[in-house]
Amino acid sequence: MQESEIIGQLRDWILERAGAASDRLTDNEMPILDEGLLSSLDIVEFILFIESLREEEVDIENIEPEVFTNLRTLYDAFFADKSQVIAS
Amino acid sequence: MADGRSLRSGFIESWKRVPDHVALEVDGNKRSYDTLGTLAASLAATLAREVPDGPLLTAVFGHRSVSAFAGILAALFRGHGYVPLNSAFPTDRTRSMLERTECTCVIVDNQASKQLEEVLTGVTQSLVLIFPERVDVAEFAERFPDHKVLGSADLQPSSDWSEADFDVDPNGIAYLLFTSGSTGIPKGVMVAHRNVNAFVDSMVERYSITESDRFSQTFDLTFDLSVFDMFVAWECGARVCCPTQAQKLLPAKYIQERELTVWFSVPSTGVLMNKLRMLKPGHYPSLRWSLFCGEALPKEIIESFAAAAPNSIAENLYGPTELTIACTLYRWNAQTSPANCELGLVPIGEPYPDMQVLVVDEAFVEVAPGESGELLMTGSQLTLGYWKDAERTNAAFMVPPGKDHLYYRTGDRVRRQNGDSPMVYLGRVDNQIKIQGYRVELGEIEMVMREEASVDTAIAMGWPETSAGADGVVVFITDASVDTKTVLARVKNRLPNYMAPRTIHCIDEFPLNANSKVDRKALLQRLREKP
Repeated sequence: MQESEIIGQLRDWILERAGAASDRLTDNEMPILDEGLLSSLDIVEFILFIESLREEEVDIENIEPEVFTNLRTLYDAFFADKSQVIAS
Repeated sequence: MADGRSLRSGFIESWKRVPDHVALEVDGNKRSYDTLGTLAASLAATLAREVPDGPLLTAVFGHRSVSAFAGILAALFRGHGYVPLNSAFPTDRTRSMLERTECTCVIVDNQASKQLEEVLTGVTQSLVLIFPERVDVAEFAERFPDHKVLGSADLQPSSDWSEADFDVDPNGIAYLLFTSGSTGIPKGVMVAHRNVNAFVDSMVERYSITESDRFSQTFDLTFDLSVFDMFVAWECGARVCCPTQAQKLLPAKYIQERELTVWFSVPSTGVLMNKLRMLKPGHYPSLRWSLFCGEALPKEIIESFAAAAPNSIAENLYGPTELTIACTLYRWNAQTSPANCELGLVPIGEPYPDMQVLVVDEAFVEVAPGESGELLMTGSQLTLGYWKDAERTNAAFMVPPGKDHLYYRTGDRVRRQNGDSPMVYLGRVDNQIKIQGYRVELGEIEMVMREEASVDTAIAMGWPETSAGADGVVVFITDASVDTKTVLARVKNRLPNYMAPRTIHCIDEFPLNANSKVDRKALLQRLREKP
């Protein structure tokens, strides 16, 4: 998948789960947590969704909280260089 | 209170004893008892200057910020109770809480200030708005011309506050928290200083807290379990560690990096950690106590958590807000406890030292040991009832036949203790559920749904099911013409995230039971077969 496609899928998942309008999160740098679009209520399913996109498990212990800041940080952490976060 | 203590007393004593110890750590900022106490004293003196008389409640709008914690202390230093407001809640709900409590002062942190304009729309009472994190508040003064706006430069010096100047009535309100109400209107639970001091005293003694302890602070301030973290820690000069929203998503890292010693969360957080493979054996050696409260605790979660925190003692705490945070507890023993679990849930155990249990049948007659019934409780933690709501107070706080004082009806079904078999939680007697520890009246969701979808009947169900309750809510209606997407968006503007339905199921007709009522069990079965 291309970067834009992955970011689009992450955006769609977050917006659908939050019940937010489709014109939210048009900016990849918009803060997801501060905008109330993602919470601890969603995190397990969100990680599972990310793993389904990656087709690989996420090494949860090596994730920094900041990766949940926005769509760009999510893409960079989980998809741009998978070798950093894939479980051994 | 014979000794004149109130909820603020423990913090003030620690401030005098260990002024340089860290009282609070939030978002990379550490605040000593002296720094936090000085800010709270300054805010308290400002509250006294601005509103010398009037309501005995101050609202605090914010969370996970120094200002929010200082604001809570400031209200108590002033001799007021605090009313926490939550920027994660819909603005209509927050406005309603503000108006109903008749607070005239609101302490606002930076994050909550973004929502303030919406919250104050239509508020007719002139308020004093205090922004402790802002030096320049000209922008706010322009946006809120009907209210008095103060920034950090407008605060009174902390030296203008002294404990002796602001008496506290031990029967007065220490905090007022809103819980979900079946009629659609949240109930404001009034918790007195003497209630919460009894609770804090029990906890301090039981857990042998010291100045070296570091407490997790995972709860919103609108959730009464947050009172444990703050005031049990501050009573003993310990540190409260409050994760940011992002850090809260990854609790494992936070426990390890902050070397927490006291963990307190809802069981759902343990479930989350288990699902995310965060409960590996031996992972959290720093923890001394692993405590859970707020919803039914599945056996496998306490087993996994106890193994992950091998140096800790794990306990299950139980209690509704009306009985001040928690009022029974059960200590987990890996060898003997599994046999005491029922329905896969950890027992809720024994009452606190100053609390008494009564398990009754439908006629309020006490059931025999080992039998099940509704749990009623009384004692020093029995709160004052609901804010300006005598009707619902009288319904929930009652004198059972043959007794001579008030008990609170928990609405929880339990099996009465029988010899060595501890009290166990069996479920609810009504349509209340717990979602990740939050108390949710399905009736409140149904009322909002009826209004927003313009339907006569809407049935809310906890779904998907978890061993602790439910992870969310879905709603059934029978009107196929309803634009479910639009209705869901409107409902989310009126209900907090955890109460908002995930899905609206439109069905041909409601299944009915023998009493011609909607058969909720049949709807649940339908979900199980076709989620």
